[in-house]
Amino acid sequence: MSTKSVLIIDDEVSIQKVVSLSLQMEANWTVMTASSGQEGIRQAERHRPDVILLDVMMPEVDGIATFEALQNNPITQTIPVVLLTAKTRTAEKQLFEKLGVAGVITKPFPPLALASEIAKLVDWTM
Amino acid sequence: MQPKPDRGEFSFGNAVVDTQPLTAAGQTRLAKVMALMTAHPEASCILAIYRQKVSGIATRSDLLNVLATRSDWVTMKLSQVMTRNVVTVSATAPKPLLALLEQLQQHDISHLPVVDEQARLVGLIAKSQLLQALHRQTVAAQSPQQAPQQAPQQVQFSQHSRRTQLLAEITLKIRQSLQLKEILQTTVDEVKRLLNADRVLIYQVFPDGTGKTISEAVASPYPSILDMSFPEEVFPEAYQALYAQGRVQAIANVHAPDAGMSECLVEFVEAWKVHAKLIVPIVQPMNPSADSVSLSKQLWGLLIAHQCSQPREWSEFELDLMQQLAGQISLALSQGLLLAYLEDRVVLRTAELTEANIALQREIKERQLVDAALQQSEAQLRLITNNLPVLIAYVDHRQRYQFNNQVYAHWLGQHPEDIVGKSIESVMDKAHYGKIREHVAAALAGEAVSYESELAFQGGQAHAVNVTYIPHIERTEDRKKNKKNKLEVKGFFALTTDISDRKAIERMKDEFIAVVSHELRTPLTSIHTSLKLLATGRLGELSDDGQQMLEVADDNTDRLVRLVNNVLDLQRIDAGEVTMDRMAYDAAKLLEQSADAMQALAQQHGIEIQIQSMPISIWVDPDYIIRTLTNLIGNAIKFSPSGNLIRLTVEPYIKSQPVEPHIKSQKASPKEPHVKTTFKAISNKVTSNKATSKIPSTSNKQALFCVQDDGQGIPSHKLAAIFERFQQVDSSDSREKGGTGLGLTICRKIVEQHGGRIWAESQFGQGSRFYFTVPLSRELI
Repeated sequence: MSTKSVLIIDDEVSIQKVVSLSLQMEANWTVMTASSGQEGIRQAERHRPDVILLDVMMPEVDGIATFEALQNNPITQTIPVVLLTAKTRTAEKQLFEKLGVAGVITKPFPPLALASEIAKLVDWTM
Repeated sequence: MQPKPDRGEFSFGNAVVDTQPLTAAGQTRLAKVMALMTAHPEASCILAIYRQKVSGIATRSDLLNVLATRSDWVTMKLSQVMTRNVVTVSATAPKPLLALLEQLQQHDISHLPVVDEQARLVGLIAKSQLLQALHRQTVAAQSPQQAPQQAPQQVQFSQHSRRTQLLAEITLKIRQSLQLKEILQTTVDEVKRLLNADRVLIYQVFPDGTGKTISEAVASPYPSILDMSFPEEVFPEAYQALYAQGRVQAIANVHAPDAGMSECLVEFVEAWKVHAKLIVPIVQPMNPSADSVSLSKQLWGLLIAHQCSQPREWSEFELDLMQQLAGQISLALSQGLLLAYLEDRVVLRTAELTEANIALQREIKERQLVDAALQQSEAQLRLITNNLPVLIAYVDHRQRYQFNNQVYAHWLGQHPEDIVGKSIESVMDKAHYGKIREHVAAALAGEAVSYESELAFQGGQAHAVNVTYIPHIERTEDRKKNKKNKLEVKGFFALTTDISDRKAIERMKDEFIAVVSHELRTPLTSIHTSLKLLATGRLGELSDDGQQMLEVADDNTDRLVRLVNNVLDLQRIDAGEVTMDRMAYDAAKLLEQSADAMQALAQQHGIEIQIQSMPISIWVDPDYIIRTLTNLIGNAIKFSPSGNLIRLTVEPYIKSQPVEPHIKSQKASPKEPHVKTTFKAISNKVTSNKATSKIPSTSNKQALFCVQDDGQGIPSHKLAAIFERFQQVDSSDSREKGGTGLGLTICRKIVEQHGGRIWAESQFGQGSRFYFTVPLSRELI
């Protein structure tokens, strides 16, 4: 399997670091990070990652707005997006799924299974 | 009374004729007749008229008699009272007054209707008026120049006239008074004067045969026997019977041998200086209170004239006069009795009316007190309803407002007087009514309904409100089906509470929890993940001590994460902020999802999870049920030794006890979109409310989940306590097993929010079974 590239869009630097390290250690994926929705969109346009991990609660432009912007961008609209959120309900999950995200991962997530969880959501073979 | 046209001079003079007599139709009811008589006290009778012709006469005496003897007099008619023949006199035929008087006496009547050539009524002659006219004539004729010698026939005629006149005068005097004593005294006085007798008395005979002089006129110096009582021997019963049959005794000389008086009786009358006596009977008058059938005549008393100075021959005139006067006395007695009877009845009736009036006054006072209390109570109720910060209304079964409190004016700018009587649909616009129509229908069907909505207050600001409809049900009698105790919905009470503040607080809390949740969990995620990565060893080897420290940090981070999760969740559940988004979900699928979620932990502990289930559709919030199951499974794993089995089952379950009814709260159905609808009473501003759908009706049918393990078990005395906060079988478990002491509490809260029950069965050392119930979905009920 070729190495996958992952773009992490999260305003929390610590989350960026631990997620990056976890994915690198577990799956040897290439990880890019962005600290805001706007930066994430630019990164996505430039690097066209295989998957985007998107935090929901971000200042200014939140994860949902960022996702909608990605979907409306012909360059980035085909990139699968997995939402990262502190807490989700079934109703909220259904709402997210209606948006067209590939999946939702709740924080805190099992760090050693994060890669496999993402792979399951985007239907990759590990 | 019908006025008659002036017919000119009557042949007997206008003075005796009443040209405006009281008349009425024969079919007139007596009540009206009595009213007419009362309004015309000068009228002594009333004439029944048919086509201007007299068909009958009823005197005051006749009417009084009917009043006294007939209880149904109110419904009687004038024609039923008239029993006398009508004797009329022509207005143009010449007739002297005496002749008229004789006509009256001949027919024993007291009134003569005067008619014209066509027999139409033109006037009325009353006996009293006639007598007065005669009296005036007599006085005018009594002048010395007018006393020439008259022929014997003239003398006889004169005497006859004089007698008639005297009788009329006395009768008039008698008739002028209803007081018996006065009548009797007048009689004896007049008779004494006319007969020039020394003593005239009225002797009353009592039922036991004794008697008493009750009236007397006596000339001086003769002794008075007034009020003297006499024994029966003075007037034996045999003699009483004779006098009762009409016997008259005129004794010119009591001492004469042919007087027929016994020696003792002669001695008796001598004591009173009686030489001659004239005795006429006074018969018993008809008693109005007695049975009308028993009208046999009885002797009431005697009218007696005495001549004390010398013997005296009594003339026919004097005999006749005494008899007629005795008849008048009898009539007077009858009138007196009638008067006494009527007065008694009046007294009785007055007493009855007084008593009724007292009772009525008492009842009025009681009702006034009740009214006052009611008004006070109503005022208090209005004070309360108008000052509570709640919209209070009563809507009848036709969906019309029948009551609105003043808060409608304060909040919505709509005064109660403008709303009362109007339909709900007309007060709010149709679109809004369409949103609440089903709630109104439910309330009028007898269902208590509660839902949340938004209302535009005056000023335009939208307020979140909670609306509750409470049906007003009464038991009525179903007359059509002849059934009693039929329940009928008369209307419903509508209570609307402003929950804006609560909603704002809820939003603030939600935001706080969301923020806290995010702010706690995010750093926890970083710490947790970092430690886990360190613990893999792939970031560099640590010393044994370092590794040990890392494990401590890692384990406690895990514990912290769980604690944060549990505390936040429990806080939200306790505050009622957690709304269960229930939906129909397969119970078997929940077991699978839960087992999957705990598979890693189970494998880690060498535990196998076994599922035994069947597809059962339940009405739950799946997230929370998964949370409950994972918690129970987690406990089972933690407290089971390696190599053991955990069984997960779900099956239908019928509760042994029925569930109590409750107000159906309206929650959004996930199958329906969250429609933003409006409820507005006044303004046209569109506001929003929560979509509503009914939850399934309460049912005894539920699903029973069970998580069974073969672990260490739970002592029986702790089976209930373990569901309380921070309660564990052994406090050391919290350190060893990493428990927070909140897991089972949260499970219980979740299950109770679903209307279910959770409990544990266990034997210490032999494993445990944790059960909980949830409702089946409505498709299965």
